[in-house]
Amino acid sequence: MLKIDHLTKRYEDTIAVDDLDFEVKPGVVTGFLGPNGSGKSTTMRVILGLDHPTKGRVTIDGKKYEDLKSPLREVGALLDAKAVHPGRTARNHLRALAASNRIKWSRVDEVLEFTGISSVANKKVGGFSLGMSQRLGIAAALLGDPQVLLFDEPVNGLDPEGIRWIREFFRSLAKEGRTVFVSSHLMSEMALTADQIIVIGRGKLITQGSVDDLTATVQGTVLVRASNLTSLTKALVAKKAIVQSTSDTAISVTGLSSDEVGELAFKTGVVIHELTPQRASLEEVFMELTADSLEYGASMPGDVSHE
Amino acid sequence: MCPMSSDQNLHAVFESEWIKFRSVRSSVMGVIVFFVLTLGLGGLISWAVRSHWSQTSGADRLTFDPVSTSLAGILFAQFAVGVIGVLFITSEYSSGSIRTTLAAVPNRIRLVAAKTIVLFVAMIVVSEVVCFATFELGQSVFNGVVPTASLATTDVLRSVLLAGLYLTLLAVLGFSLGLIVRQSAACISIFVSVLLIVPIIFVFLPTSWQNSYEKYLPSELGRSMMSPFPAAHHLGAWNALIVLLIYTVVVFGVGLTLMRRRDA
Repeated sequence: MLKIDHLTKRYEDTIAVDDLDFEVKPGVVTGFLGPNGSGKSTTMRVILGLDHPTKGRVTIDGKKYEDLKSPLREVGALLDAKAVHPGRTARNHLRALAASNRIKWSRVDEVLEFTGISSVANKKVGGFSLGMSQRLGIAAALLGDPQVLLFDEPVNGLDPEGIRWIREFFRSLAKEGRTVFVSSHLMSEMALTADQIIVIGRGKLITQGSVDDLTATVQGTVLVRASNLTSLTKALVAKKAIVQSTSDTAISVTGLSSDEVGELAFKTGVVIHELTPQRASLEEVFMELTADSLEYGASMPGDVSHE
Repeated sequence: MCPMSSDQNLHAVFESEWIKFRSVRSSVMGVIVFFVLTLGLGGLISWAVRSHWSQTSGADRLTFDPVSTSLAGILFAQFAVGVIGVLFITSEYSSGSIRTTLAAVPNRIRLVAAKTIVLFVAMIVVSEVVCFATFELGQSVFNGVVPTASLATTDVLRSVLLAGLYLTLLAVLGFSLGLIVRQSAACISIFVSVLLIVPIIFVFLPTSWQNSYEKYLPSELGRSMMSPFPAAHHLGAWNALIVLLIYTVVVFGVGLTLMRRRDA
């Protein structure tokens, strides 16, 4: 189990991670979600002992990373796929890593085979596409057959087939009882991949829980098409609902259930053409949760409507 | 591989760093450039001396040193050696692979120790081979026309051996500088400045300063180490070695301390 214990990391005058405190449990895929610049990569670097925490600590099964006897056999990580010497071949890169942790060379061929890059094993890494580098990074993470796996933005650069492959792969790792911790700024991706989600913004923990729990915390909207939108809107606003018009013939209602909207329409004498409850997607949850903590917020032209 | 334990140790990290050292072009090319420069220039200079020997004045003939002359290629090749040392660590920072390396070897003292041993062992072997080869090449060029030196003379043997050690320590100095500066270009610039530019500045200083301080420049320490007898206002070979060792240990110590403290 991976435990982030009141972690704070300050670089000169910016706080990258601010009193972050959570646990990542084995047996499930845990998504680590946050906008760019929210502190995900910093947290990953501190977990691996690359950066020293300003305050707090990170432990893997109770031990600090520096104290692991054979780190690659306990923790496998993919941080930056391109962080490999470009002049070295894929096989030599993996052999050097294997040697440092006394891993058999036959394991190098196994992981090359598994990630589907055996055919380019003797080519220099500098010529690899991002997708191939990503596979090499995954091969390196798997080298020591570790119980804890960390992946920082692993789907970047993968083609759709590769993304499907990696999703299945994460699930199978978790099913084997391993701890799988995957960061991403793509909430839609996490919704498909992760069981548990940890959301951070500006280095602070915003929320954590299962995907279902998180989407339930945010109010859904109801899409309504009706004969007389003006009078229905008036009635809805009187009930303190938030109404946004999505087109000439449709509105989106927040704050009331579809049952309530239907009953209100009946009382108002408006004919309903469509009444569709819309569950908040994880993406919307994410936007709502992190709206205050965007490092580089872009102003939206016009209203942001829930579609 | 020891079947009893899978714990990481210095030997495992040494093996890993040895694979890394020999699997990139910069080290292999550096070694080739080092060979070609030392032997090529040493041979060329020795040949020039031989072909002009009949016109060489009596005074110049008296001060002629067949050892230093045959080793003259080292003055140029020392830059190649420094670059090998620098790139062994800075290439990890420029490519970002230092993060992969440190994730595999979180004990930074162990990592630096393994890298230093790999570099030292590789460079001492290569440097001694190069120095003895260029010495023999020079003597065979001189043979019959110009006075030659023999390795049977203690001071001659010492000069050639210390020439190789001088180059090896330069590689370790370059590596230590790389631990501090981390950037290849900046690091190579500093290295070249200290070996090449600072001696030029000394030319413009008052003679008394030159006589008192010039001998402590790394390049002059190298000169002292590879001459069978000390030049005027220069340290003896063994004292020069001690000063160079002190420089190396200080820069290495600063590099190691920063490596432990800083974020990767």
